[in-house]
Amino acid sequence: MSSAPHLVIIGNGVAGNRAAEILREKDKDCRISIISAGPLLFYNRYELPDVFKGRQDWRDYLENPPEYFSDNNITLRRRSIVADVDTERRKLVLAHREEVGFDQLLVATGGAGYLPERLQETASLTHQFTTYRSAMKMYKALPKGGRVVMLGGDMIGLDLARTLIETGYQVTVVPGDRTFWPHEISAEDRPKYLAALETMGIEVINHGEVERIEDTSGGATARRVVFVSGETVSADVVVTQYGLAPMVDFMSTAGVDIERGLLVNPQLKTTRDEIYAAGDVCQIWEQESNGYRFYYGWRNVRKMGEISARNMMGADVPFETEVDEQLIIKDDGSIDSPFWEYSA
Amino acid sequence: MSENQTDADIKSRKVYVDEGEDFSTTQSYGRRVVTPVRFSTDARDVGWVRENVPCQAACPADTNVPAYIQTIVEERYSRSYEINRMANVLPGTLGRICSRPCEDACRHGWAGNGDPVNICHLKRAASDLKTDGHRITENLYAPSGKKICIIGAGPAGLSAAHDLSMLGHQVTILEREEVAGGMLYYGIPVFRLPRDVLDVEVHNSTRLGVQVKTGVNMGTGVDDTKLSQLMKDYDAVLMAMGCMLAIPLPLKGLKDGDIDPVIEAPNAEYGLDFLTELHRGEEKVVGKRVAVIGAGFTALDCSRVALRLGADDVSVHIRTTEKYIPVTLEEIFESKREGVKILGLRTPVGLERDKDGNVTGVRFVQNRLGGYRANGRREAVPIEGSEFVEPCDTVIVAIGQKTINDVMDIDVGLDRWHNVRVGENGMTSVDGLFAAGDFVSGATTVVEAVGHGREIAIKLDTWLMERVRRKKVVKIEPVDGPLRERAYDFIPRQHIPTEPMATRFDDLVTEAETGFEKDMAHEEAKRCYLCHMKYEIDVDNCIYCRACIDVAPRDCIKLVSGVEVKDDGTYGDLQETKQWDKVGAIWIDNDECIRCGACFMVCPTKCISIVKQEIFYQDV
Repeated sequence: MSSAPHLVIIGNGVAGNRAAEILREKDKDCRISIISAGPLLFYNRYELPDVFKGRQDWRDYLENPPEYFSDNNITLRRRSIVADVDTERRKLVLAHREEVGFDQLLVATGGAGYLPERLQETASLTHQFTTYRSAMKMYKALPKGGRVVMLGGDMIGLDLARTLIETGYQVTVVPGDRTFWPHEISAEDRPKYLAALETMGIEVINHGEVERIEDTSGGATARRVVFVSGETVSADVVVTQYGLAPMVDFMSTAGVDIERGLLVNPQLKTTRDEIYAAGDVCQIWEQESNGYRFYYGWRNVRKMGEISARNMMGADVPFETEVDEQLIIKDDGSIDSPFWEYSA
Repeated sequence: MSENQTDADIKSRKVYVDEGEDFSTTQSYGRRVVTPVRFSTDARDVGWVRENVPCQAACPADTNVPAYIQTIVEERYSRSYEINRMANVLPGTLGRICSRPCEDACRHGWAGNGDPVNICHLKRAASDLKTDGHRITENLYAPSGKKICIIGAGPAGLSAAHDLSMLGHQVTILEREEVAGGMLYYGIPVFRLPRDVLDVEVHNSTRLGVQVKTGVNMGTGVDDTKLSQLMKDYDAVLMAMGCMLAIPLPLKGLKDGDIDPVIEAPNAEYGLDFLTELHRGEEKVVGKRVAVIGAGFTALDCSRVALRLGADDVSVHIRTTEKYIPVTLEEIFESKREGVKILGLRTPVGLERDKDGNVTGVRFVQNRLGGYRANGRREAVPIEGSEFVEPCDTVIVAIGQKTINDVMDIDVGLDRWHNVRVGENGMTSVDGLFAAGDFVSGATTVVEAVGHGREIAIKLDTWLMERVRRKKVVKIEPVDGPLRERAYDFIPRQHIPTEPMATRFDDLVTEAETGFEKDMAHEEAKRCYLCHMKYEIDVDNCIYCRACIDVAPRDCIKLVSGVEVKDDGTYGDLQETKQWDKVGAIWIDNDECIRCGACFMVCPTKCISIVKQEIFYQDV
C-alpha cells in the first residue's frame, strides 16, 4: 500500500477541483480523491441557464475532458454520499457504509438551494436550479414561452431570469428578504433595484408572504401560488431562489465548529488541523468585522480552493477577497453583478 | 418460576418448539431451540438491554420504546399508551413536548442508517389514537397506612404521586398555583400542549386517591404552610417544587444589590414570568420588534407566543450557535417556519434605554465558539471591542431558571449550586424529607423530571416500608419469527402534520402540530428496528453454510475467533477472523444488526433464534 498521504476532497465543484489541481501541482505523489454526491464529472454550474439556449447535453458543460482525472491521477468517486466524518480515526463513512481513510480533508460541498422553512411542505411542487439534473427537470417542465414564477430572486435566480427573458419566457419575481442575495441591499435602495428588474423585462409583484403553492395540473397552468393576503398568481413552473444553505449536516459529529457554515480561520483551516474548508460551505473569520462571513461567487470560490490547497501543503496564506460586491445598475437601466462573472 | 429454580437452571433448559410439528409442510430438517419465558437479573442480560436498546437507555423515564412502537404496528393504541404509562404517567403530554433524548440515541439515526424513528410523535399517536374509555392498567398494592406529602404538582411531583399511591400510600399534593401541572400548565404554551390533554393525564395520575390541594403557599411567613409542620403531620415529605425563579441577566457593570433592569424596564421581562402570567390569564402585550434572549425551550416558546400576540419581527439571540442549543431540531424548524429569526454568537452586555426607562435595544458582544463544557455544550468566547446594538421594542429574557430555597423553615443540606442535596436513597439531610426533579438537579427537562420522580418514589417506598418491593429484571421471551420486513428499512421518516400558517396565528390555543393519522403512524412505527429483539445463533446446530452471511444486508454476521467478555459480564468487541481454522463461532453483531430477519428466514438448520428482552419490574 502506498505511503503517500491521502488527501480527500468532499465536493466536485469549483473549489474542490481547483484545490485538486493545486495539490497535484504541488505534490506529484500524493493520493487525491474527490468524493462527489452527483453522477457527473466536474461541470460548470454557472452556465446552466444555457439549457434554455439549446445546450442540453451534459457534455457541453464539462470543465475538463473526461480523461483529465486519470491523467492527473485524481480519483473521482461519483454518487458517493458522505454520511459521517470520524475525525478520531480519520475516516469518512459513506452512506453505503464504506469507510474511506484520509490524512487531510478538504470540505468543499458548497451550498444547496435554501428553502425557507415555511415552504418546505410544498417543495415537491417547486423547482430549484442548482444542478444539471434540476436544470433539465425545469427545462422539461416549462412549455415554450411559458411563465415562471420565481420566489425569492437571488442573484443565481436573476441570472437565470435574464436568460429566460432573452429566450422568450415570462418571468415573475416574488421578492423577499433574500432577493439579490448575496448582495445586501438597504431598504432605501431596494425599490431602485426592483425597478431595474422591470427594466430587464422581469415582472415584480409584491403580494406579501407566500401562504402555499397548489398543484393545478390539468388546468391552463400547472401551479398556483397563493399569498397570505389571499391573492394568487398562476405559473407553469415555480422556482425557488433564496440563496444557498451550506451543506454541513454530515459534519455535525466531526468535532469542528459550525455556525451556519464550517467556521474556518483566514487560512481556511477548521478547528481541526487536518480539516480545511473552501467555497460556499465555509464562514471565514474576518478580523475587521470581528466575525465570520461567507464569500460567494465563482472568483472567491475558486480562490478559496487554491488557498486551501496551498495551506494543506504547508503554506500559511490567508484568504483575501478580490471581488467588489457592489450590485451595479448599468446605463441601460438593467443590473449587473460581479457574481455573474465566471471565467478565468 | 418455582422457588427452587435458579436462573441458571432455567437458562440451561432447552425447549424444542417444533416438537409435534408437521414436517411435511415445513422445509426444515433441524430444530429451532428456544428457551421459555424467564426473568433474569444476570448482568449480561441487563447489560444487553442497556447496550442494545439505545432509546430506552437514553430515556430518563426508562420507557420501553420498542414495545410501544410495536403495539402501534399492531393497531393496539390503547395498549401502546399503557406501555408508556408504565414508565411515564404523561404520554400524551410528553408525546408533544419531550426533549427526545431517545431519538438522538436511536439506532436508525446512526451513520448510514438514515433518520431516527419519530419516537416522540409515535408516543403522541398512541395517545391520540387510543380508544375512548380505554382500560387503564394499574398494579395496585394494598394500603400501607403511610401518609406522604408531596410539595409541587409539576411533572416530578405528579409522577411520584402516581407511583406512591399505586404502592398503597395515602398521598397529598400541595400546589402553589390554582391548577395542578406546574411548568406544564404555566410554562408551556397551549399551542404546543393543549390543556385538555394535560388535564386528563394529571387526573389519571392522581385518581388512585391522591388529594391535590391547590393555592397552598409554602414559606416561612405567618400565612404560609411550614415544612416543619408537614414533617410532623406526614410519614414522609417529598419536595418537587421545580425551578421557579428566573436566572437574572448578567449584564456588564451590574453589581449585587443593583436594581435588575429587566424587572425595572416596562417593556422587558423574564420569560418564565411572561409565560406564567399569560397562563394565569393575565393579558400580555408585546411590541412590534421582540428580542428574546436565551437558547432553550422557554426562549423559543416566548418567541412563538410573541408572534401570536402580534409582533412582526421576533428574534432569538443565542450565545453559541443553533447546533449547540438544547432544543429539538423540530422545535427550531417550527419556530423558524413561523418566522422567528435565530441569531447566534452573541452575548448580551447591556440594555439601551430611553428617558422613560423603556428598553430601545440590546447591546451585545460578538462571540466565537470556545471549548466544550462538561455538559457537552459549547463555550462562547466574547470578542473584545465587538459590541453592537440590536434595536427592539420588547425584551424577553429566558436564560435559565433556578430553585427557590427560602421557603424551607428547617435546615436542609444544599449542594454547591444551592440545590437540595439528596443521598443515594433519595433523602435529603433531614430524615423523612425527600426531593425530586428540578428541585434537586436544577432546571432540566420534563422527561427527566418524570423519570426522577419515579425513581425517588421507589426509593421513598423502600425507606418507608423498610424493604425493596419492586426490582428491575429482564424479561426474556421467545419470539416465533421476525416482526419486521426488510422493506421497512426504506420508509422515510414521517414528519408530523401541522396547522397551516394561515390559521396558526389566529389565537394562542390552536395546536401547531396536528398529529399523525393512523396511516402515517403505521408507516413510522414500521421503521423501528425493534432493538429489543435479540437474534442468536446456536453454534451447536450451525453447519457454517454461510447462507445467513450471504443474505445479510449489512456486515452484521461475523466469523469470530473469540468474544471479549467485560468485567461486568457483558460482551465486548468481537475478534473477527477470515481464517477458517481459527473460527470459533459465528456471531451476530448486535451493533450492526437491524433486526431484518433475513438470516432467520434463510437458515436451513433453524439454528437462529429470536428472543425479546425487556426491562420489567417484578414484585419482591
